Amino acid sequence: MATAADIAFLRTVLLFKEISEPDLHALWPWLREKRLRAGEVLFRDGDVGSEMFLVRSGTIVISKPVTGRVEQVLKRIGPGDFFGEMSLFDNLPRSATIQAETASLLLSLNGEDVDRLMQASPRAASHFFHRLVQEFIRRLRDTTDLVAEVTRWGLESTGLDVEQSSAGER
Amino acid sequence: MSPPRSKIELLVRGQDGDGFETRRVESSAAYLQLRPQRIPPEQCEIAQLPSGVRRVPTWVLKNRTTERYIMLTEPEKFLWEQMDGKTSLQEMGTAYVLRYGAFDFDVIPALIAKLRRAGFLTMRPSSRLREALAKHRRNPAARAAESTLRAIERLTVASRKAHGKFELVYRSGGFLLFSPIAVLALAVVTVLGARGAVELWNDSGTISASLAQHPVVAILLVKVFFWLTVISHQIIHALALVHYRRRVREFGFTMLHGFIPTFYADVTDIFMGTRRARIVSSVSGPLVHLFLGMLYFWIASLLAPGLLKAFLAATAILQIQSLFVSLYPFCFLEMDGYHVLVDLLGMPTLNHDAVAFVRHELWDRIRTGTMLNRQELIYVAYVVLSAVSIAAFVYLNVVLITHAGGS
Repeated sequence: MATAADIAFLRTVLLFKEISEPDLHALWPWLREKRLRAGEVLFRDGDVGSEMFLVRSGTIVISKPVTGRVEQVLKRIGPGDFFGEMSLFDNLPRSATIQAETASLLLSLNGEDVDRLMQASPRAASHFFHRLVQEFIRRLRDTTDLVAEVTRWGLESTGLDVEQSSAGER
Repeated sequence: MSPPRSKIELLVRGQDGDGFETRRVESSAAYLQLRPQRIPPEQCEIAQLPSGVRRVPTWVLKNRTTERYIMLTEPEKFLWEQMDGKTSLQEMGTAYVLRYGAFDFDVIPALIAKLRRAGFLTMRPSSRLREALAKHRRNPAARAAESTLRAIERLTVASRKAHGKFELVYRSGGFLLFSPIAVLALAVVTVLGARGAVELWNDSGTISASLAQHPVVAILLVKVFFWLTVISHQIIHALALVHYRRRVREFGFTMLHGFIPTFYADVTDIFMGTRRARIVSSVSGPLVHLFLGMLYFWIASLLAPGLLKAFLAATAILQIQSLFVSLYPFCFLEMDGYHVLVDLLGMPTLNHDAVAFVRHELWDRIRTGTMLNRQELIYVAYVVLSAVSIAAFVYLNVVLITHAGGS
């Protein structure tokens, strides 16, 4: 049974912002808790998985392997954020590694839960998917910005002056 | 106003794959580690232009492949000579400061841009072995060797947060190492050790016989024990930095050249200190070997004949050799004594320049009867002294071994 604090938490998650309170009460029992110790890895890039996770408390680091033991930090997320939603739809291996920076409490939701939501309340599911698409678009924009930033980092770290080089080649 | 330097955040996993730490790395930090590699000597040539009215020396650098020419000032030529693919921009900056006493931060980026535009820099691997392996990547054996080398090079454990720990060690008593008490202790141990060494020399037959009874154990013990003392050498260097209020940028373990296991301390910040600080920092590490060597000699002289006595005597000899090798500047190795010498001479790239001069220019100068200037005389003296010293060192070791074997 969801408490007022549980419902208040769900309200902070973008995906559930517009879902009515009765629908949130119905959804709550389907969510499963998962606790992570600081430094613990939830899953790695390439692992198989079909759940998405909501961050109830703590800080989660999302990273992508680069070389050896070094990974690039893609994002750091906290309470109210969510991740792993791509695996609800594509059934492909995980695209990044997830680890807890601090002790964290997560809530998981799988594809079957989303199907149940669609059947139980198409209106709630519609709000859920609408917000999900918005989030996908925002993350796509963030990724584009990240690519540009990493390119800038590469140019600065090698001292490559492309404007001057191009002018010199003309 | 230009935008702030870009930063990326990296996550580095622990050796066991469990824990991790994150670091924000600014692009400028990576830029300092850039190791520009000039094109091979056969693809370019450099010539000094006659001095003009300003009497400022200038060089012209020609790219034989592209037929492009660029002018270099004397500082630019100095930096060009550093671009061997092994020297980082940070090290070049340090060398520049030592040579010219000041540093203009725009000089290096401007020169690199100029050299890149004219095709004077290459991405060729710096190691000849790596270059050869890269050329033959189709060969599975070469590919395997390259992968092995890469894996070995990753056997590096380094901490950039070591400074705080060294400060703690310094505060907890490490400061005594830089006090008159330490000097007195060293003097007493040196006298006792020297007396012990004389006694051991007279008894060398018994000592070598003890070693000969357990040759494998003896060699392994001596080598491993000695290797472990290398860490104390590096720790003292690091404490010297703390003593002079400079920063220990990194401390760690690595496989030098891919096969020599070694500890290291990044003490480059000492270049921002006084000359006294630089000299004390350089000399403090080797003095560890003097202290340990003399201590072992003294203890060995007090012990009854046996493996322990022989082990301590052999270890002491290795320590004294290390002291000599570390402090003696004329041996082509850029050890602590070499750094003191180049600091005193104000010639930070003495080894590289001297070898290059003797290999490529000296014989022409002798043939044409051209007089050598003061700097060139120093180059020749350095190479001659180094060559003679190495020969003498090898000879001394042969005599020692023969003496021990004959006794």
